[in-house]
Amino acid sequence: MLDIKKVKKDFPILNQKMNDQRLVYLDNAATTQKPKMVIETITEFYEKYNANTHRGIYQLSEKATFLYEEAREKVRIFIGAEKTEEIIFTRGTTESINLVAYSWGRKNIEAGDEILLTEMEHHSNIVPWQLLAKEKGAILKFIPVDKEGKLNLDNIDQYFTKKTKLLALIHVSNVLGVVNPIKEIIAKAHMNNVPVLLDGAQSIPHMSVNVKEMDCDFFAFSGHKMLAPTGTGVLYAREDILEKMPPFQSGGSMIKEVTMENTQFEDLPIKFEAGTMPIAQVVGLGAAIDYLNSVGMEEIWKHEQEIVNYALNQVRTIDGVTVYGPKEKIERSGVVSFTIDGVHPHDIASILDEAGVAIRAGHHCAQPLLRALGTEATARASFYLYNDQKDVDQLVEAVNKAIKILK
Amino acid sequence: MSISDIYREEILDHAKNPRNQGKLSEFDFEYKENNPVCGDTITLQIKLDEQKQIKEIAFTGGGCTVSQAAASMLFESVKGKTMKEIEKLSSQDVLDIMGIETLTPSRMKCALLSLEALKKGIIK
Repeated sequence: MLDIKKVKKDFPILNQKMNDQRLVYLDNAATTQKPKMVIETITEFYEKYNANTHRGIYQLSEKATFLYEEAREKVRIFIGAEKTEEIIFTRGTTESINLVAYSWGRKNIEAGDEILLTEMEHHSNIVPWQLLAKEKGAILKFIPVDKEGKLNLDNIDQYFTKKTKLLALIHVSNVLGVVNPIKEIIAKAHMNNVPVLLDGAQSIPHMSVNVKEMDCDFFAFSGHKMLAPTGTGVLYAREDILEKMPPFQSGGSMIKEVTMENTQFEDLPIKFEAGTMPIAQVVGLGAAIDYLNSVGMEEIWKHEQEIVNYALNQVRTIDGVTVYGPKEKIERSGVVSFTIDGVHPHDIASILDEAGVAIRAGHHCAQPLLRALGTEATARASFYLYNDQKDVDQLVEAVNKAIKILK
Repeated sequence: MSISDIYREEILDHAKNPRNQGKLSEFDFEYKENNPVCGDTITLQIKLDEQKQIKEIAFTGGGCTVSQAAASMLFESVKGKTMKEIEKLSSQDVLDIMGIETLTPSRMKCALLSLEALKKGIIK
């Protein structure tokens, strides 16, 4: 079992008061807090090893390069990829998806082609495709969600046509926590010869993920949602796909030779890492993976299941509260989206803040999904390994207080 | 920012029963503004009198307590004011009208949505 007392102690930021209340951080779907181990790794890097990578002919640079590449190897093992060449560091999920849209998309998408998305997507998996579709004269299609927020996968075959060039979809919903049946969806897409991009921003921090087993072609995620520093993200893609992709950003690092007329690009993965990367932060991502492994992804998932079920049971019974998402017991990560009748979610968030509870209120960058659910905004509590039942109790108490003030 | 300061009776009353909410049958101009943080929108219509002062004002659009109360209280206070007077209104004026000392930056945006709509609508 996960030792919650020990885990909580590992996160210095949680040991503070907010408005004289114990700080309860429940905005983990937006970003997560950092364990001491990650913070110390970054400090140590700057105090002992800081230099630019891959180019320096001196020991400091070689050590920095070693640590940076060691982090890449940690990521490879963590997601079950075959080769480190398949791990591209980016700024986050958004940049990973933009890389694919810009590089792979511009090369492979033509006028009249179809890009298949779902109504559940975060804006970061909609807008890059909208821009590409407008540029190329391509068409976006959306797999709809039902009223409860589950993908409507009956007759999924109908969405694939001869013109479908890509399926890009979210692994776990950032609004509802719904875990999509990815293996079945990917198998269907591949039967129709359609490659699949998976937005793993909300899956990889919380559950064991294996890109080989899922058989996805692209997998995009952020470091900062899994205990690592901001400014880190990853794009995984199969080597044979990456080999055929033109560069995304260009300039320093990603070249072998430059003449005034022409450039020979570096091999994978550096071909896609132009300019100086956030080196210390990537090393921090490696430390975050070490930390997650030391707790164990299975344990983290089990712990979050306990907390989210406890929270769902509590919040659902509050009079006047609507909880979004499927009512039946399905695979669901640690997210509870709710509204209070007649109360704007911003007012809920303000009153919760006064009670020391940090939640998100708004459209969660998923306006099409919220419209499908029949609302414009929700309040969202999202949990992680350092949250416990006491945090949920403080949340519930604050929600009751909000109702008292506002209704 | 004190919660009891913001969510006091007068504000809650304005938020729940906003004054001047609705549409005008005749108006001189109309303007729509939205708050990208929460997606709240406000559409306001204004009718001027012969001296080019605000004669009637009405708004539609939902939002949080702060944005609704701000619209209700601000628009109540601008009747009879000239365009020049409107242009001079500041964010501090909105807080003063609402009787709130301070707001956090994100909630300040909620409070200022109606003022922005009003100012931009007039310039337009």
